[in-house]
Amino acid sequence: MTIENKKGWISWFNPFKYGTDRWMYALHRLTGIVLGVYLMFHVVETSRILEGAVTWNSLMVWLDYPFGPHFGPLILSAVLLAAVYHALNGLRLTIVENGLMLPKPYRPEYPYKPRSLRGLNNFLKIFLGFFMIAISAVGIIYIFTGAIL
Amino acid sequence: MRESQIMFIQYMTGLLILVFGSFHFLLISALAPTTDKVLYSYTYLNGIRTLAGGTLYYSTVKAVYTSLMWGSVFELLLTFLVFHIFNGFRVILSEQFPGSKAEKIITYSVLIAAMIVFIWGSRTIVLMLNGGL
Repeated sequence: MTIENKKGWISWFNPFKYGTDRWMYALHRLTGIVLGVYLMFHVVETSRILEGAVTWNSLMVWLDYPFGPHFGPLILSAVLLAAVYHALNGLRLTIVENGLMLPKPYRPEYPYKPRSLRGLNNFLKIFLGFFMIAISAVGIIYIFTGAIL
Repeated sequence: MRESQIMFIQYMTGLLILVFGSFHFLLISALAPTTDKVLYSYTYLNGIRTLAGGTLYYSTVKAVYTSLMWGSVFELLLTFLVFHIFNGFRVILSEQFPGSKAEKIITYSVLIAAMIVFIWGSRTIVLMLNGGL
């Protein structure tokens, strides 16, 4: 029965009946997969440093201009965005799913909305969202210009 | 090992990656052992664009790799990343392909892949710590 009802990964992107948490969950998994694949490439790529200066420097030039101007920095920026989103959303999940920072329990009153959890979750989404924009902006500006604030 | 214990390690490695990953990003920017803090710095030799400096230049990267402190940071980061990423893959794949037989195949396949990536990455770090090949 479980297998018959299973929709697989397509269900990650079902927007109906679900809120922003569902989209953030889907994006968390997608960015996780992207970063996992990137790590494997990164480990192979960095191992080329063992082949010496000429190989390494020419590899870096190719990675900067793989398919044309600014393509390398664009890929690096996409990886940075994925990493920042995954890290900060992971921080939110660690706090919310483990019940950290929750206030003391209160007497349930009609209409029984889980106010404490929802409030904290919404606060974290906004706070970490701003933080994500700030870190990403600094990172992308650095990638393209080399300027450090 | 119980699934709850594995997930606890997943959370902990996630937090540690946040700390050590930040060092990694700083190391290719603000903390890079070079006065030239851009990723790539080029010169033109006979009209050919040549890498001449920057935080990803060979001598800069080698200076980082041959430092015991940064080598240790990389090794720890690699350990946390390999666990976190491949356990994440295991969870996603186990959800996509349910069943005890599929779970066993997924677990062992992911474990082998994780070992390969870990050994490959560690090899680079250890060899570079001794100055390369």
